[in-house]
Amino acid sequence: MTAIDVSRNRPSELSRAQARTGYLFVLPTAVLYLTFVLAPVVVTCILAFAYFDPMLGSHWVGFDNFARFFSDRRSLQILSNTLRFTFFAVTFNVAIGLVLAIALNRMMPSWLLYFFRLSFFLPVIIAAAFVSIVWSYLYGDDLGVINYYLRLIGLPGVRWLTDADQAMTSIIIMDVWKNTGFFMIIFIAALQGVPKAIIEAAVMDGTPAWRQFVRITLPYISPVVFFCIVYASIGALQVYESIVILTQGGPGDTTRSLSILIVEEGFGSFQIGYAAAISVVMTAIILVITAIQQLLSRRWVQQ
Amino acid sequence: MNKISRRSLLLSSAAFAAGVNLGIAPAFAQSDETATLKLQAFGGDAELGAMTNAIARFNSKYPNVTVELEIDAISGGWGDYVTKVLGQFNAGAAADVYGTAIETFQAFSSRNLWMPLDDFVAANSGFSDFAPSLFEQGSYNGAINYVPISWNNIMINYNRDLFDAAGVAYPVDGKWTWDEFREVAKKLTIKDASGTVTQFGYEVPNQNFFIQPWFFSNGTSILNDDWSASNMLDPKVAESLQFLYDLIHIDGVSPIPSSGATMDSQFMAGQVAMISRGHWIVQSAKSNDLNMDVAIPPSKESDTTVIGFGGYAINKATANPDLAKALILELTNEETQKEEGEKGGGVPGRLSAASTEAFLSYPPSAALYYQTLPHTKAVPSPANFQEVEKIVIRYYTAMMAGEVSIADGVKQADAELNESFARLKQQMGG
Repeated sequence: MTAIDVSRNRPSELSRAQARTGYLFVLPTAVLYLTFVLAPVVVTCILAFAYFDPMLGSHWVGFDNFARFFSDRRSLQILSNTLRFTFFAVTFNVAIGLVLAIALNRMMPSWLLYFFRLSFFLPVIIAAAFVSIVWSYLYGDDLGVINYYLRLIGLPGVRWLTDADQAMTSIIIMDVWKNTGFFMIIFIAALQGVPKAIIEAAVMDGTPAWRQFVRITLPYISPVVFFCIVYASIGALQVYESIVILTQGGPGDTTRSLSILIVEEGFGSFQIGYAAAISVVMTAIILVITAIQQLLSRRWVQQ
Repeated sequence: MNKISRRSLLLSSAAFAAGVNLGIAPAFAQSDETATLKLQAFGGDAELGAMTNAIARFNSKYPNVTVELEIDAISGGWGDYVTKVLGQFNAGAAADVYGTAIETFQAFSSRNLWMPLDDFVAANSGFSDFAPSLFEQGSYNGAINYVPISWNNIMINYNRDLFDAAGVAYPVDGKWTWDEFREVAKKLTIKDASGTVTQFGYEVPNQNFFIQPWFFSNGTSILNDDWSASNMLDPKVAESLQFLYDLIHIDGVSPIPSSGATMDSQFMAGQVAMISRGHWIVQSAKSNDLNMDVAIPPSKESDTTVIGFGGYAINKATANPDLAKALILELTNEETQKEEGEKGGGVPGRLSAASTEAFLSYPPSAALYYQTLPHTKAVPSPANFQEVEKIVIRYYTAMMAGEVSIADGVKQADAELNESFARLKQQMGG
């Protein structure tokens, strides 16, 4: 009796062969994922609790690296910079992208439509490093293009990148110019998915345009808005190259971001353990912010 | 640190030569050896061209030796280069010969990566052509770790056409004081009708290496003499910073130095009359047909300027130490040095290579490079140089931008520098 049960539960040769084939198909992806994603994450978490320098002698330091981060006035200011940049960059990137999408989601000659879409989307496909170099010439204090025209119309020049109160705003302006076109394209696609029949019915009922947007359009595209906010937040929290090229984090630390600090500590000062600890903190912050956004989305995202 | 005089070098060389005559032959590589040597070097076009030719000459003597050259432009700064090299050692993929600069010497030597080169240097009389101070500065704990390549001292580079246009005389013998320099910079600054500056007299520098002469010429430094602690609280440091701040905010002769790009291209375009740079700028000045000359950085207490130099080191674990030494001989011989110097890669470490007509022909006062050598101090380069440089420049740019007062800036920089030195001491087991 037992022998019969066992033979019934044992997978057939065919299903075992199918399983083997399945595993073989998955194997390359699994190996790549383990090697290039999971293993670095695990190693980073381990290094965060160590002083790592094989030539001088590596050793465990417990939570010292984290204590250094949370007790250092500089790192807290840099964390604050990163959050400030994230808040404003996400808000303006998504909001302006949505406004542009609404403006372009209407009847107009197709050549004009494509012209506008291309104009707003073009900065997205240009390398951030190149864009940043161009903007550094625009932002120059005395020889910069923007200040030249400001002075031409009798206005005082602005210290775009050398004034601590202004530098972060200048970087946000460039970031929004560079990235809002991406969100515009996403929103245009989403807006085209809103049923025209409902909009037409609302128009026939005499519903004002803003009410149509708030009551019909926004609920329909709310999952896309949510995606854009999460996507923009994750990108903004990791901002790096535009700041490095424009200000290198200065003046002082006023525009330095967590990503820059990680690179400087890890690859500039060879403080691998400390850089790993900052990476862990940054990952935790991204997870927490994303989780909060997920919780909030339950209230206002139309499922 | 052992003192190596020109005399002791010559004596050692003579003793070595006598040893050879007595049959005590050195264990130099034989030309039929088969091996692969990895050379990790740094530099631009001038260095690459000279090194490639040097390797070709090496291969004519050692035809079965393959030299794999990797050259790093140091676009990410010396900190990135240190990390790269340490990564190569950690991964077991280290090169046999490394070219590097003084900024990294202690970072590498404190990790005991290199082979001592005292016997090698003593055995080769040709090295007496180098200034002995270069070998002194290339030593660690009394042992020579680095054979010098070329060096750069920061000079004031000025556009002679702009001086002529403003009716300003060139500095006599390349010498001037802080006050004289300030007046010249004012005369060279031009504003248009709206008050916009169209030509700056000077670029107050934004790089750690470039700003050092302003401290040295005032008889001070950002670090103490043995580079083990901050010296930011010395009132002379604040005085130097205040002078630079005044050039920007009182005289308006310079823009605020940002943390980003330097103003080399504006200097080449005639929008800035004077900048503080080393000999490397000669490459682009030549290609831009710039009517440029050099002067000694202005003095307050002395005309001391800063020097940085490159050197070759040999991996202590190399399988081919004799071949590595033979390669270094080729890379540092007069022919290679002349080629590098004439193309503008730096001032050749060998006096003979820096005395050629081609080297001295441009800029007109090129002889000043070597003349100032006795009045130079090495750029402060402790083992935590990467941290020190970042701390100094961060506070310096904030002070120059007026974001923090000089009094507060030097205090905060001092505290942060000393924290970094405390960490370094701990890491070194101190």
